[in-house]
Amino acid sequence: MSSPQRDRPAHTVRGVDHAAFPTFDPQATITFYRDVLGFPVVHATCALGWGPGEHPDFIHFFFDIGNGDRLAFFYYFGVEPYRDADLPDLLHRARHLAIHVDGAENLLEYRRRLDASDWPCELQVRHETVESIYVTDPNGYLMEITRPLRAITAEDDIDANLSVDALMDVAGEPEPSLEKFYARKAKLIAERYEGEPELVTFA
Amino acid sequence: MTTLFVLDVDDFRPLAEVAAKDPDVTVRRRGPYLEVSAPGAIRIERNATGCRNAIWYSSVAAVQDGRVSHWDKSELVVVPTGTGE
Repeated sequence: MSSPQRDRPAHTVRGVDHAAFPTFDPQATITFYRDVLGFPVVHATCALGWGPGEHPDFIHFFFDIGNGDRLAFFYYFGVEPYRDADLPDLLHRARHLAIHVDGAENLLEYRRRLDASDWPCELQVRHETVESIYVTDPNGYLMEITRPLRAITAEDDIDANLSVDALMDVAGEPEPSLEKFYARKAKLIAERYEGEPELVTFA
Repeated sequence: MTTLFVLDVDDFRPLAEVAAKDPDVTVRRRGPYLEVSAPGAIRIERNATGCRNAIWYSSVAAVQDGRVSHWDKSELVVVPTGTGE
């Protein structure tokens, strides 16, 4: 059976307060987020590095990304720039922040802003439930701006929960595969919706 | 029976609809899913479904007593377990 949702504690979190990343190029970062994309600067903490060990002095600055949520960066004075060397492309693409817009016009407006800058849009894709544009920011972080293509339904949520339940099972077995996942999920569907199903015809 | 489950939403329903054109295929509704079954292989042509890439390649919810033997930009084939197609 699928996970016991009834026993879950209350879900009281309210979205992203801020997501924070290091930057070694604050000029390009501010140009990109504030001037190109037009994200307002909403907070900056300028601090002496009094923390543990050799903690450097730093500026922690925040951009509004809508809905009261914020994207933040740390710039550390006197720290040698660091980048992940030889980061596989798959991991580069997997680690990303996706920012929501409501419709096609807003998505295209951000695409126009990017295309007029030194950081043009790299890819525009219509996924299953969202359409997205992608750009690598001045720090090398992949960033996505996305709009919904359709509403997420109760069916989608049920399917997602069965998927993660199947994944929990299969990921713990030797040599997990999509084939094993599909088979496990079919078993969970059969258990959850046992009984004679209704015949469907397409007129 | 080879059984393919697709979620019964507008995006994925066309797969069941196209599969059902084969007289050996039966489609039933099981919870929020369409259960597409056949005694042998289930073949679905992408063009007939009208699905774009992202929909096409995320359309399979689950597979019972079978496995996906072929899934490229033009066709999805689910064969009974134990066959080598």
